[in-house]
This record gives sequence, structure tokens and C-alpha cells, in this order.
Amino acid sequence: MEILNQLWQIIIHLLSDSGFMQLTWQNYVMVLVAFCLMVLAIKYQFEPLLLLPIAFGMCLVNLFPGIMGLPTTEMLTEAEVLARNLDPSTYTTTVYNGVTYYNCTQYGGLFYYLYQGVKLGIYPPLIFLGIGCMTDFGPLIANPKSFILGAAAQIGIFLTFIIATCIGLVFPEAGFTPEQAGSIAIIGGADGPTAIFVTTKLAPELLGPIAVAAYSYMALVPIIQPPIMRLLTTKKERSIVMGQLRPVSKLERILFPVIVVVIVSLLLPDAAPLVGMLMLGNLFKESGVVDRINKTAQNELMNIITIFLGVTVGATASGKLFLTWQTLGIVALGLFAFCLATACGVIFGKIMCKATGGKVNPLIGSAGVSAVPMAARISQKVGQEENPGNFLLMHAMGPNVAGVIGSAVAAGVLLSVLKG
Amino acid sequence: MDNLMQAFILLLAGFIVVFVVLILLIIVVSLYSSIIVAVQNALDKKKEQKNVQPEPVATPAADPSSEPEDDEIPGEIIAVIAAAVDAVYGERPHKIKAVRRTRSARSAWSAAGAFDGTRPF
Repeated sequence: MEILNQLWQIIIHLLSDSGFMQLTWQNYVMVLVAFCLMVLAIKYQFEPLLLLPIAFGMCLVNLFPGIMGLPTTEMLTEAEVLARNLDPSTYTTTVYNGVTYYNCTQYGGLFYYLYQGVKLGIYPPLIFLGIGCMTDFGPLIANPKSFILGAAAQIGIFLTFIIATCIGLVFPEAGFTPEQAGSIAIIGGADGPTAIFVTTKLAPELLGPIAVAAYSYMALVPIIQPPIMRLLTTKKERSIVMGQLRPVSKLERILFPVIVVVIVSLLLPDAAPLVGMLMLGNLFKESGVVDRINKTAQNELMNIITIFLGVTVGATASGKLFLTWQTLGIVALGLFAFCLATACGVIFGKIMCKATGGKVNPLIGSAGVSAVPMAARISQKVGQEENPGNFLLMHAMGPNVAGVIGSAVAAGVLLSVLKG
Repeated sequence: MDNLMQAFILLLAGFIVVFVVLILLIIVVSLYSSIIVAVQNALDKKKEQKNVQPEPVATPAADPSSEPEDDEIPGEIIAVIAAAVDAVYGERPHKIKAVRRTRSARSAWSAAGAFDGTRPF
């Protein structure tokens, strides 16, 4: 009888510890959302490199919230320490009401430690290092006017900032603080690492929804951008064939990252970590003398950081924090920012088309949002729909990489103005 | 209202700073590119002049692209081409009658664009 009783107690204990008893309905909803993201990543291959770890991190943290648990300190008496077979001499002590307590540290969950790279702003610049190693700035150097399109697409960020602030005025309870509005607006840059970098500094409490929204929209570039591009351009404009770009010498390529980092760091020090690492990576690539480092930065390092970043960003989306009206607001404003950025890029593309007497295809303007190289490939795809012999990819890569620099500059502006 | 005012100021500041920084980059990049191109052109001219004047005996190296290489395509390459044709036509009846090297109508940039653009998402 005693044995049965003990067995029953163990079963009750296991059940009370199980997820079925611990989790709330929000957790289950988030697990379903994670499954949907996994389907998008695996079946439809929407940015699978990021969406899959994000979805799995989201799933895991909602099934076992302790994986993101903070480290805690438990105060134990000497008897309790000895009962747990611990060595009292390894702990600091606190005397409270005449009793000596040992401060026993309980370690945090696995993702808590991995998340420190996000929280401290370490991963985004390292991702930029890898991106720099993989990016060819040649099209931008050959046609520096592309910088204008990269800048135009950032207008969406600042217009969204205004909208988010206005919402705060109309609905004070559901509104966003200026810091939160800035973090939401940066989604319009279509640059995941930049969005994370800005949010960790301005509104860390919104990191989960903002990161998930930013990466989701980056993944949905092929769906979101083409209708806006077609709406704002005529068939004739979309059919414009652009002239061949001039070849760029090695010296120009080597000087480019050095010059950009000097100018941007001097003018906007807050953008220096992102732009600096981007340009360091590019210098590794273009110098051609550190092939080993270059390969490591763009492969192994990038992959490791992508895994850590993905799972920990996903792990910030726990049910209770994520399923709020504020998240819906962020998702809607993020989409608005992204669409606006695309539209601004295309409109500036049209202006450049008129200014150059029809030599610029306005479709390359939409590539001014970062999302490298997907946004450039969309320009190519939409252009080819009108004229199969039209190859816009290299022309669109100019605004595309300019968009990376532009969004980092916009991030620097937001940080320098809004950071207390 | 203060928040809205601040937002408008940030909007203006953002526009101006982003455009100023990127326009500054346009100017600097254009400037150093034109300097480098000019210097390299000058150096190339000098080299050409040196090569032409003192050594009329030194015949220029044959341009490899101008050589007729139709007969020199190795068997492995032909096998690869055959495999590629097979991959495209599949089970449809087809026959390779000849393998000829054609002059590429596209530059490396266009070829890269064509390659990337035709890859499915």
C-alpha cells in the first residue's frame, strides 16, 4: 500500500511539473504560430535560414519557459546546503536575523545565456561582418547615384515613426513611447540585425515582436513588394533596359569600405558598430590577403551567430508577452513601414528615371530597402516579367547594398536622438 | 503635442541626415573613382608607349579568346554539356549534333544577372 501511495505521489509530482499543468493558452497559441512559421520556412522556403531557428526557439520557449529563465540566488541555511551535498565554503554568506544563509546561485536557462549576445548588441554587428564578407559593393561604386535610392527607402522609417507617435496621441493607453515608435519604425529598413540592434538599445521590451515582424517581412519580400512596384510604375517604365555598368578596379573596391567607415563613423558614431563591422567584412573580402578569415566570417561565424540569433530572438516571443494588442500594432505598423519604404524607393526611382531621360528603370528603387539580395532579385523578377531580356539584378544590387548602409545611418539617427 | 513635435523634428532631421550622409558618400565615391580611373588610364597609356617604342621584336602575346578552340573542348566538358541538355529536355527526344563555342553576347555582369534571375526563389 505504501509503495502504491509513493508511486501515486511521484505520478502526481510529474504531472504537476509537466507542461500540461504549467502552460497557459497563450503558450499553446504561440506553439501553433511557431508551427505556421516552420511551414513557411520549410515548405515555402521563406528565409529558412532565419525563420526556422526563430520558429523553433519560439516553440521551445513556449513549451518550456524555463529555457529563458534568469539566473537566481537561493539563500540556504548550512543544513540545507549540506543536505544537497554542496560545499558551503564555495558560497558567499548573508546574515539575516542572526541566521547565516549561503547564497547559492541557480543557473539560468540555456537561451538566457545565448540571448546575452542579442541583449548586449553583439550578434547584429557580427552578422554585419558576415554580410560584409559576402557583399559586392561593385555595382554601387560603379553607379554611386544608387545611394539616393538607398536613402529614399529610409523615408518609410521616419514616416512610420510619425504614425506610431500619432497613435500614441490618439490612443494614449495603446500608444507607443518615442523609443518604442523608433524601434518599430526601423522595421521599414527591412534589415533584421539593424532592427534588433536599435530595439535592444531603445525598447528591449519589444524585441520579440519587432524581431519576428522584421524577419517575417524580410521573408515575405517576394509577396509584399511586387504589387507596390507594379502599382507605381507603368509598363513602359518597367521595360526600360539599363546600360551596362563599368568595371570597377580592385583599388576602388579596397578604398570603398575604408572611406565609408571613416565618413559614417565621424558623422554618426552610433552607426559605427554596424557600419564598421560591415565594412571590415568587406575589406576582408576585397583585400584578398585574409582569405581564411574571410571564409570563416562568411561561413562558420555567420552560421553560428545566425543559429544563436534565430533561436534566442524566437525565444523572446513567449505567449504572455507576445499575444497583446501592442504586438498587433507592431505587426501592422511594421508592414506599413515596409510598404512605405518600398513605395518611396520606387517613387525616387521614377524621379531618377525622369531626371536621366529614361535611362534608369524605376524598379531598382524598391531594392533600396535592405533585404539583401532578395529585394534586388525582386526588381530583376518584376523587370523580367515585362521584358524577358532585361537583366536588372546588378543595377538593383547598387541600391540594395546602399540600403544596408542607409538603414544603418537611419538607425544611427534614431539612436542618437532617442537614446536617453 | 510635445511628442508629435519631437516626431516631426526627428522626421526632418532623419531625412536631412540620411540624405546628406549618402550624398556625401556619392560625392566622395565618384571623386575617388574618377581619380583612380584617370590615374590608371594614364599609367596604361605610359605602359603602352613603353611597349611600342623600344622593342619592336617583342610580339604581343596571342589573345587566347581569338584562338579557334572548337576542336579543343575536352571530352569531360562535352559530357557536362550533354548532361545539361538532358536536364533541360528530360525525356523529350533530343540529339546533340554539334558543340560549338559561341561568342558570349552578354558581359560577365549580365551573365551573372541572368544566372541569378533565373534561379527560383
